Amino acid sequence: MDDQAQVVAQPRVSVGPIELLDAVVDKTFRLPVLALFGGVAAVLVAGVFSATNGAADLPVGGVLRALLDRVPLIDIDSTLNSRQAGILFQIRMPRLVLGLLVGGALGMSGGAYQGVFRNPLADPYLLGVSAGAGFGAVLALGFGLDLGWGPFDAVTAAAFVGSIAAVAASSLVARGSWSSPATLLLAGVAIAALFSASQTYALQRLSETRSREVLSWLFGQLGTSGWEQVWILGPYVVVCGAVLVVHARHLDVLRVGDDEARALGLDPARVRLVVIGAASLLTAAAVSVSGLIAFVGLVVPHIVRLLVSHSYRVIVPMSALVGAAFLAFVDVGSRTLVAPSELPVGVITAFVGAPFFGWVLWRGRAAL
Amino acid sequence: MLTKRSLFGLALSLGVLASACSGSDDQTVDSSTTTNSTTTTQSEGVEEVSETDVPAEAELANPDFPLTIDSAGGTWTLESPPERIVSLSPTATEILFAVGAGDQVVAVDTYSYYPAEAPVTDLSGFDPNVEAVVEFAPDLVVLANDANDLVAALSALDIPVLVSPAPADIEGGYATMAEIGIAAGRADETAEAIADLRSEIDQAFAAAPDTSIRVYHELDDTYFSASSFGFIGAVYAAMGAVNIADEADTDQFGFPQLTEEYIVQADPQLIVITDQVSYTAEDVLARPGWDGIDAVAKGNVVVVNADIASRWGPRLPQFIEAIASAMSGVQVNS
Amino acid sequence: MTVIAAATGQAALRCRSVAVVFGKSEVLHRIDFDLSEGEWLGIIGPNGAGKSTLLRAIAGLTHYEGTVALHGGRVPSATDVALVPQSPILPAGMTVTEYVMLGRTAHLGWLSRESRSDRSLVGLVLRRLDLASFAERLVSELSGGEAQRVVLARALAQQAPILLLDEPTSALDLGHQMAVLELVDQLRQQDGLSVIAAMHDLTTAGRFADRLVLVEQGTVVDCGTPAEVLRQDQLSEVFRTPLQVRVLDGEIVVLPSPRRI
Repeated sequence: MDDQAQVVAQPRVSVGPIELLDAVVDKTFRLPVLALFGGVAAVLVAGVFSATNGAADLPVGGVLRALLDRVPLIDIDSTLNSRQAGILFQIRMPRLVLGLLVGGALGMSGGAYQGVFRNPLADPYLLGVSAGAGFGAVLALGFGLDLGWGPFDAVTAAAFVGSIAAVAASSLVARGSWSSPATLLLAGVAIAALFSASQTYALQRLSETRSREVLSWLFGQLGTSGWEQVWILGPYVVVCGAVLVVHARHLDVLRVGDDEARALGLDPARVRLVVIGAASLLTAAAVSVSGLIAFVGLVVPHIVRLLVSHSYRVIVPMSALVGAAFLAFVDVGSRTLVAPSELPVGVITAFVGAPFFGWVLWRGRAAL
Repeated sequence: MLTKRSLFGLALSLGVLASACSGSDDQTVDSSTTTNSTTTTQSEGVEEVSETDVPAEAELANPDFPLTIDSAGGTWTLESPPERIVSLSPTATEILFAVGAGDQVVAVDTYSYYPAEAPVTDLSGFDPNVEAVVEFAPDLVVLANDANDLVAALSALDIPVLVSPAPADIEGGYATMAEIGIAAGRADETAEAIADLRSEIDQAFAAAPDTSIRVYHELDDTYFSASSFGFIGAVYAAMGAVNIADEADTDQFGFPQLTEEYIVQADPQLIVITDQVSYTAEDVLARPGWDGIDAVAKGNVVVVNADIASRWGPRLPQFIEAIASAMSGVQVNS
Repeated sequence: MTVIAAATGQAALRCRSVAVVFGKSEVLHRIDFDLSEGEWLGIIGPNGAGKSTLLRAIAGLTHYEGTVALHGGRVPSATDVALVPQSPILPAGMTVTEYVMLGRTAHLGWLSRESRSDRSLVGLVLRRLDLASFAERLVSELSGGEAQRVVLARALAQQAPILLLDEPTSALDLGHQMAVLELVDQLRQQDGLSVIAAMHDLTTAGRFADRLVLVEQGTVVDCGTPAEVLRQDQLSEVFRTPLQVRVLDGEIVVLPSPRRI
């Protein structure tokens, strides 16, 4: 109390050498190299673990040799026969890579959504992406809607268009309320409900075979992926991911609220428009190739927040890495736990993610 | 091995059969003891059931109404043969028409489009609306399962219900047929129809090659499959084929979801898909990583009618013939 | 003494016929005043008079009619006016350094990161406000007085020549109130800032402000030096309670009339 009054009144004594403070300031804004390194390492470990485990018992040595052989400038004999090589390169690897991409996309979008909505419960499906995708998939699988174009097959294209339509509708309903996250959020809830109802209605009109096809698509699966899906999603991860990483700094400004952010010279509506646009595109692309995989987008950013930093410039890129490693790792369970049967990956994301998240929360005792 | 659920259904069917034969209400009580004993002697499985079935079938006689039916739909006494049957089960519809009870059927659900003369309405078997059903003033409603608590609603309105779940194997199918036919008051015709079907099926099996080729029956492109624990898969098993889905079906549910890697590694020699999926045999042949599979390399991917391949019914011989011819095709190629 | 120089030389601000309408009710009605360079202008008036709304209009946070212009005629932006909100949001998990860096937002390009000079300016501001030892502390875990200094540091990092303070001390005890206001006054004198402060306490308003603007129901009632504005009859009428104005040791003191029991 008193000492502060004194501090102001008397000439101050610097607490530490200037260099020390400058080092602290510099450190605050330096890339979190250690965390990023850890994230990359996690992705690599998950990748190798995933490549060497699966329902087909490929020899581990052979898999590693075959993979190394694919690295430029390395030339060693793979000991896999042609069917084993087919399983590795046409089935296991695309599935693994897609798992990394989808996990990264959902983690990063989840972080971005939590930032723009300033809401720890926000996840990338908030504005109706999931319901829109589901409705699109029903139309494509059940009613022959074919928007297929280029690498997009009918289902992927319809799911993608459906998600974008739902987000656009939510934004339109919340017209002019880009500065009010609550309005946008409520608009998202309304639109999602509308699309879900349409989806259920359409599902009712389908034969048993068709509706099972739609439902197992909705469940979320990496099980049917090939390189095609990787090529569809890849560009979105690169482009939208770059946009989100670049805008992460603005999300930190938004943490003080729209009003103060504007007083600081940031246009919250513009940030929201760009970030929601990029995150929704990314999520829509991920959902259209993999269906709905719950939990990753919600929980991964929190894990990063509790373990590394609350700053979005850390959360956004780290959520991509942690999400990628998490989903690739969990997908191994999906392929092997009940092998040769398949366990939907969304089931395991919740099974593994929820207790882990609980542990992190309990241990951290940190406010979100 | 049968699941508890299907055994239960089977036992109930046999119970109905037994009570129908004697025409006495007391026998209905016995049916519940039959249920218990069958459930507790699971290990004896299919054989035991079929043994008890044969004499029952032989004894099929003109049932004297009143008739007691007993199923998951409750116990009902029908004073006279039903005249206004509503069927929300495509299998039941096919059976009703096959045993000559088509005239007694006033309405069937959307997917009961076989035979062509079935009075198709927009009633739904998955999500039935009790008011829409009651509209037809039925004196018997046949269901495959009790969706939306329909049984309770119909019971409250005193409308008799017969719940006839999908049979788990071929013998169970005959029992289902008997149960429905007798309830419709067509015991004689039902006995004949079953005898005819049995001989057709036996002939179809006799004509089929008895080879141990590896078969993969795909239900959709997320690799849900039919194992030998369901009646579709049972057809393959009866022909001596090895169903690659069996290994995955540890809980004997009948429809396991396979992992793609496993399918490729299991190397099926015949792949069967249905005509109601959104892709074709060519798409299956073109799947990346599948070119190492014997069936893909040799082009042994066949498409079967989804209705015949998913419903137990009088058209089962057609399915057996289709599979048999596909399997002999594999035989020639290999 | 390190002086955090203002980024622009213009400090004078002009408000002409500023009106703010929320729905059908007019919250501010034709407000006119000028702010001179280096001046501390206190805005006083009862609750709901429109003090905060006036500051928000100047900061561009609310839509207004009329003119708010800098000396050159430009509408002020975040590089010209820095707002210290009444109850700032202190985000969980944000360090003091990160928080002060937010003040640089208006100086950074849309896609650019903070540069070396931004970082050293933040270091400078932290030292200037004696926050060096707080650099890594979390803003959510600071005491009221510390937090107020951190918010002030953020405003300082904004390098705006005009500081807008919205009842900056309303949550602080007397000692911290004085400390914060002394600090603001020091910054004003040493760094050449101008200050517009909505102030709750009339005595402190009279002590720190060069001139006072008395607002009632969205209208300027009086404007002038503290001695001119802080008149017993006028204040008693505006605040609707009998007040006494005394001069103690050369300072104007505003007191409620003694209670009669």
